[in-house]
Amino acid sequence: MYRNRSSILARIGLLATVIAGTMAAGCGVRFDMQDQPRYKAYKQNEFFADKLSTRAYPEGTVARGRLNDNKAFYTGKIDNPNPNAVAQTTTDAAGNTVVTSFPDAIDEFPLPVTKELVERGRERYNIYCGVCHGPGGNGDGMIVRRGFPRPPTYHEDRLRKAPVGHFFDVITNGWGRMSSYAYQVQPADRWAIVAYIRALQATQDPDAILNSTAKADQSGTAKTPAAAATTHGGGK
Amino acid sequence: MAQIFNKSANNIAKISMVAVAVLAGTAFYAYTQIARSSYLTGRYMERQQPVQFSHKHHVGDDGIDCRYCHQTVETTASAGMPSTQTCMNCHSQLWADSPYLEPVRASFRDNKPIEWRRVHDLPEYTYFNHSIHVAKGVGCSTCHGQIDNMPSVYQENTLQMEWCLECHRAPEKFIRPKSEVYNMQWEPGSIDDTKRRSLKDDYKIRSKEMMTSCSTCHR
Ligand code: HEC
Ligand code: HEC
Ligand code: HEC
Ligand code: HEC
Ligand code: HEC
Ligand code: HEC
Repeated sequence: MYRNRSSILARIGLLATVIAGTMAAGCGVRFDMQDQPRYKAYKQNEFFADKLSTRAYPEGTVARGRLNDNKAFYTGKIDNPNPNAVAQTTTDAAGNTVVTSFPDAIDEFPLPVTKELVERGRERYNIYCGVCHGPGGNGDGMIVRRGFPRPPTYHEDRLRKAPVGHFFDVITNGWGRMSSYAYQVQPADRWAIVAYIRALQATQDPDAILNSTAKADQSGTAKTPAAAATTHGGGK
Repeated sequence: MAQIFNKSANNIAKISMVAVAVLAGTAFYAYTQIARSSYLTGRYMERQQPVQFSHKHHVGDDGIDCRYCHQTVETTASAGMPSTQTCMNCHSQLWADSPYLEPVRASFRDNKPIEWRRVHDLPEYTYFNHSIHVAKGVGCSTCHGQIDNMPSVYQENTLQMEWCLECHRAPEKFIRPKSEVYNMQWEPGSIDDTKRRSLKDDYKIRSKEMMTSCSTCHR
């Protein structure tokens, strides 16, 4: 009788331990919900050699809506450049070669220049360009003060006269010691930045303001960013 | 038949009932505290990174905007991490020989991404999206703290469900004008309650019921 009861207790105890142990093993230490067998951005992927789960497009493929066949909009270049046209260069005081003409760059914005575009351009400019080119475009940004080579000011005659396509090209492909910003700034935003640079230039170029205000049309869509900026009080 | 229990057992029974309640309460309280502790939530923990990148230098001292490096924060769920090319925009010229930057140059040379260690990591049964928060006036510093003062990033908040809900129940207590989202110096005290409520209306933030519905975050 006595022995029997204790063996029942022992069995119950054993059973309870087994159940508790299974439960602990079953729920306490599993992370299947925490780390699910799917890939989020930046999750390491052992399947590919470079371990990236975010894949680039295979070479030679075009994603839907990414044909980018509007050449002016996506490259800032004219359609049929003259193959014999050569960019002119001069040598500045420091002995560097400076390009002064841009024969294959377009000179008209491929999209309407509105107040919104210039505003958007200001925001993007201050994020991506201002750190070096300075808030006013004088080439005195914080990174330059920390020792980065000094870019030219936007308010020199050469860049005032440069076609808009040139600015687009500099952002897209880089220029000298400045890298390409194509990865960080999408094409529409590049045009917005160019429009803002034009507005910046106009703020220090009285002639441009006088001329373009006269030309601004009534619909609120100005022909040039300088006019968009002045007619709507934007700009600086 | 002899009594098994002495009369004093009545007291023991009463005391033990109270003791069980107290013990259970204490245990539960201890559990909630442990569950919220930085040991389990990873709060305030710094990670050893492959490059000693400092937000204090780049954001605090040099004034680089968050979006220069975390480009996709306005458009996608993930804030995005800078590619090696982004670092090289500056470091191809600046501190180009610094030994601290050797891993960056190696990554650029060999075309191998830098393997940053995650600081913030929600469980994968929850859905989080940066773009909506940024678009509705929730500033980086509300969730991530003073990143511009952090030589190495740590998690400022628990990121537990109760933390998300505290804001989702009453977002007007935390939101700011959209123009200030990236401003690390912005003070919550600089706008008053009426302004906050009007911001909530302007940004068309949905009802508390929808914001706290389980399927908003567990989908
Ligand atoms: C890391 C610093 C840095 C940043 C950021 C930067 N630039 Fe530059 N930029 C330079 C430097 C340096 C030069 C001069 C390059 C040279 O001549 O070698 C330059 C030159 C230029 C030029 C003049 C090209 C010419 O014809 O001489 C333009 C236009 C320009 N940048 C536009 C931009 C725009 C637009 C952005 C923002 C998307 C930008 N830059 C961001 C450093 C920078
Ligand atoms: C110059 C580039 C750069 C800028 C500007 C920058 N960051 Fe970062 N950020 C990084 C890098 C690189 C990492 C990864 C290394 C680390 O965690 O320290 C990172 C990591 C982070 C993390 C932690 C990510 C994780 O692993 O959970 C947060 C949060 C963050 N940044 C927020 C910000 C905020 C907010 C700003 C603007 C105030 C900002 N960053 C500006 C480059 C940058
Ligand atoms: C817009 C320019 C810019 C970008 C982009 C940038 N840095 Fe820097 N970095 C700087 C400047 C300026 C300094 C000097 C910091 C200071 O003293 O204020 C610096 C300093 C550093 C240092 C310390 C170097 C030393 O020898 O003390 C490290 C490490 C570093 N950066 C890593 C990175 C990494 C990693 C990235 C990419 C995620 C990056 N940086 C992107 C401008 C930049
Ligand atoms: C509502 C709170 C909240 C706001 C506002 C917020 N973050 Fe985050 N951030 C998070 C959470 C939560 C995570 C972790 C996400 C995960 O693990 O999936 C995170 C992760 C990150 C990461 C790591 C990479 C990633 O996306 O997982 C970076 C970088 C980052 N945040 C930067 C920023 C920047 C820059 C801003 C401001 C523009 C910002 N965050 C605003 C909550 C927030
Ligand atoms: C400081 C305030 C705040 C915090 C903290 C916060 N949120 Fe939000 N969240 C918002 C606001 C505001 C919205 C916008 C709601 C709207 O548009 O109606 C939002 C929207 C969302 C949405 C989008 C809903 C949809 O249908 O698209 C998700 C998902 C979300 N939050 C998840 C989270 C998670 C997960 C956390 C915690 C890690 C979190 N949030 C923390 C303020 C916050
Ligand atoms: C605002 C976003 C949000 C909403 C709404 C939300 N959750 Fe969560 N939930 C989270 C986050 C974030 C976590 C991860 C907590 C952690 O990592 O500790 C979580 C975790 C959980 C967990 C795991 C247990 C835990 O706390 O770790 C359960 C269960 C859960 N949620 C149930 C629910 C239910 C039921 C609802 C609806 C009543 C709900 N959640 C609504 C964000 C949310």
